[in-house]
Order: sequence, then structure tokens, then C-alpha cells
Amino acid sequence: MKKLIFLCTVCAFLSIALKAQDISQLTAQCAGNAGDVMYLKDFVVKLDQGTPGGAPPTARYALLLNKSIVYRFSICTAPNSDGEAVLQLFDLNTLLGSTFISATGKDYPSFDFKCQKTGVYHVFISFKEGKSGEGVGIMSYVKKL
Amino acid sequence: MPKILSILLLILAVAAGSCKSGGSGENAGGEIPDSILNEGVEISEEVMQDIVQNISSPVEMAAMIKDLGVPFSNKYISPTDRVGNLTTSFQQSLNLGIYAADLGYLNMNNKTSAVVDYLTAIKTLSDAIKVGQFFDFTTLKRLATNSKNLDSLMYISVHSFNQMDKYLHSNNRTNLSALMVTGVWIEGLYLGTQVYKATPNQALAERIGEQKLTLDQLMLILDKYQRDNQYTVLLEELQKLKSLFSSVVIYTKKGEPQMVEVDGMLTIVGGDESIVEITPDLLNNIINTTEQVRNKLINL
Repeated sequence: MKKLIFLCTVCAFLSIALKAQDISQLTAQCAGNAGDVMYLKDFVVKLDQGTPGGAPPTARYALLLNKSIVYRFSICTAPNSDGEAVLQLFDLNTLLGSTFISATGKDYPSFDFKCQKTGVYHVFISFKEGKSGEGVGIMSYVKKL
Repeated sequence: MPKILSILLLILAVAAGSCKSGGSGENAGGEIPDSILNEGVEISEEVMQDIVQNISSPVEMAAMIKDLGVPFSNKYISPTDRVGNLTTSFQQSLNLGIYAADLGYLNMNNKTSAVVDYLTAIKTLSDAIKVGQFFDFTTLKRLATNSKNLDSLMYISVHSFNQMDKYLHSNNRTNLSALMVTGVWIEGLYLGTQVYKATPNQALAERIGEQKLTLDQLMLILDKYQRDNQYTVLLEELQKLKSLFSSVVIYTKKGEPQMVEVDGMLTIVGGDESIVEITPDLLNNIINTTEQVRNKLINL
């Protein structure tokens, strides 16, 4: 019994440590894949599956973006994730951009945003069809316009 | 049984020490928790999280200045020889932000010889406020010795700063996070205004004027801690700037966002455009006051 408790504890700690390392690696990889840009911020997301018929669980981040700067928003889904991560950028209620265009069914690993108005914007990250999942969004600085 | 207990304690100790990338754990700071500082809180923690994100980046102002083609000057950065005099968590957090912004400026301009001093200063201060585990000093120092590693150096520096910020948030120490962000902001503004003074530029003038919005957000956060004497002094200093920024006019020209795809890359052009109106006199006042406030803050 003592051995079992000991093994469970070790496994739990190892699992936590490995998961933290996985996400850290995914973040570095995702930032590296964003291209010839400068990393500014990451959004690590882990969401449970949504309820049937309900809105998909979504992580939301408020960001202050500056005029005349081109930002790149990238998304990466963890390999063990059930759902595929989607990043959307909003200005109040207006959807400005998304890594998934539902009208065409096309996915993009990232999109650039040419900011013309300094202000607070929102990044939403969710998983397709409200599935559970883990992923990382990256915001990078591309250039000054 | 005692043997198993000691093994478990050992594992616990190792796990606590290896939380470098996890961003979770106990409040190790020995600081006054937010709950004590914030009696009569008016802003919920959820809203705080909303506000704080990306208020000020340790590299964005430096990147913009570099893109404008303005040459580097070490006159604009804060000297590191005063780190030993910074003894309170208030001073340490504020100056951690200031040095993070300076590090961004140095890295951006590939000034690797000076970078090590700033890495050392940040390491000392981050250890002092118990977030040093997120700052991989050895790797950063190694990367700083080779100019070919600039991308990695930039990534690890900024990521470390973000990790510290996240950790402080998740451990109920948002007061220190707010100070770090304030330090980054005031140093970024100081850098921008000093550069403008030396090489006036319309884009930079607009960027300085837009700081009105950032300062509003920042003061909203800091107001939460005004019961503490040190924060009162900080708020008084920032209020001087806020009074000036209140005369900056910012309005929005409405427009429709556009989306284009070129070679598989999606680009979105924001529809609305912000217009900043700032008179030369007002700009000069902001430049001078920023210098005074920043110099006072680094000596608080």
C-alpha cells in the first residue's frame, strides 16, 4: 500500500512537471514558427469540452495594441489535444480576424493585424466544435507601418 | 513510514524548485498579499486580469524606435550600479520593470557587451521578490556573449518577464506585477520622449500622445493600492503626467476592417483609425515632466 501511494505521488509530480515542460516547449516552438518577428506575449489555454448545444468554452484576453504597428497572431494546438485551437481578434463586438475562416473552412497558422487605432482589443481562443483542448496563442511584433 | 515521508518531502522540494515553466505554486514572496493591501477593492480580480494584459511591453517602444532608424544611445538607460540600494519589494519590482525595458532596448540594438550588467541586475531583483526561478540567467548570459543568438535572447528575456508577471498574478501578488508594468511603461515613455527630443518625429509624437490611454489603464490598477504610502508617492508622480495627458485629444475615425490573403498569409487591416492631436508646447511639457518623474521614480 505504501509503495502504491509512493508510486502514485511520483507519477503525479512527474506528470505535472512534464506537462509544464510540454507547454513551455510548445510556446517556444510556436513563437519560433511565427516567422521573422519578435515575440511579445503568449496565451496558454487549456479548456474543457463544452456542453451540447452551448457556446464553446473560450479563453479571453484583453490587449492594448498600438497604432501603426503590424502584429502577428499565431495559434498552435498541443499534440494531445482533442480539439483544434482557433484564435480570434475582436475590437469590441467586431470580429477583425481569425485563424479559421468558417466560410471557406480554411485554417491559417497565423494572421497579421495592421493596427490603425491604439486601444483595447480582445483575443479569444477556443477549440473547434467546443471540444476540449490545450494550445498556445502567440502575439508578435512584425514591424512599424 | 518516516523514510517514505522524507522521500515525499524531497520530491516536493524538487517539484517546487522545478516550477520554472509551470507558473503555479505557493506564494513564496513573503510580501503583503493583495488581500491585505486591498481592503475595499473596487475592481474584481477578473477585471484586473482584463486590464493588465499587455499594458506595456519591455520591447515594443524600443522596436518602434529601431524601426524609425534612430541610433542607439546609452544615455537613455538607467544605470545598474544602484541595484544594491533597492531594498524594498516596491523598489525592486518597479526597477525590475525599468531594467527589463532597458534590456529590451539593449537587445534590440544588439549591445551584447552591456546586456550582462542588465541581466545581472534583473536576476538580483527577481531573486529578491522571489520570481528568480523564471529568469534563466545562465542561458541568457551565454546567449548574450554571441550576437548570433539575438532571437533566442530576445525570446527568453521577454518570455521570462511574462512568466514572472503571470506568476505574480496567480499568487495574489498583483501589486508587484503592477509595479513591474509601471516600471516598463515609465522607462519606455522616457526612452520615447528622450529620442523625440534628440530626433523629432511625427510618428513618435503620436505614440507619446497615445500613452494617455495606457496611463489611464495603469492608474486604474495602481489606484487599488493607494492606501500604501509608497504607492501614494508613485500615484502623485504619475498624476503629474496624467494632468498633462488630459489635454491630448484622441478621437476615432470610423472605418471597415479589410482582410486580404497574399501567398497564403492572411492580413487584416483594422478599420477604425485613431487620430492624436498634441500641440508642440504640450509635447515639450510631457517630455520634461516624464524626465522628472522617471528620475524621481528610479530614486524612490
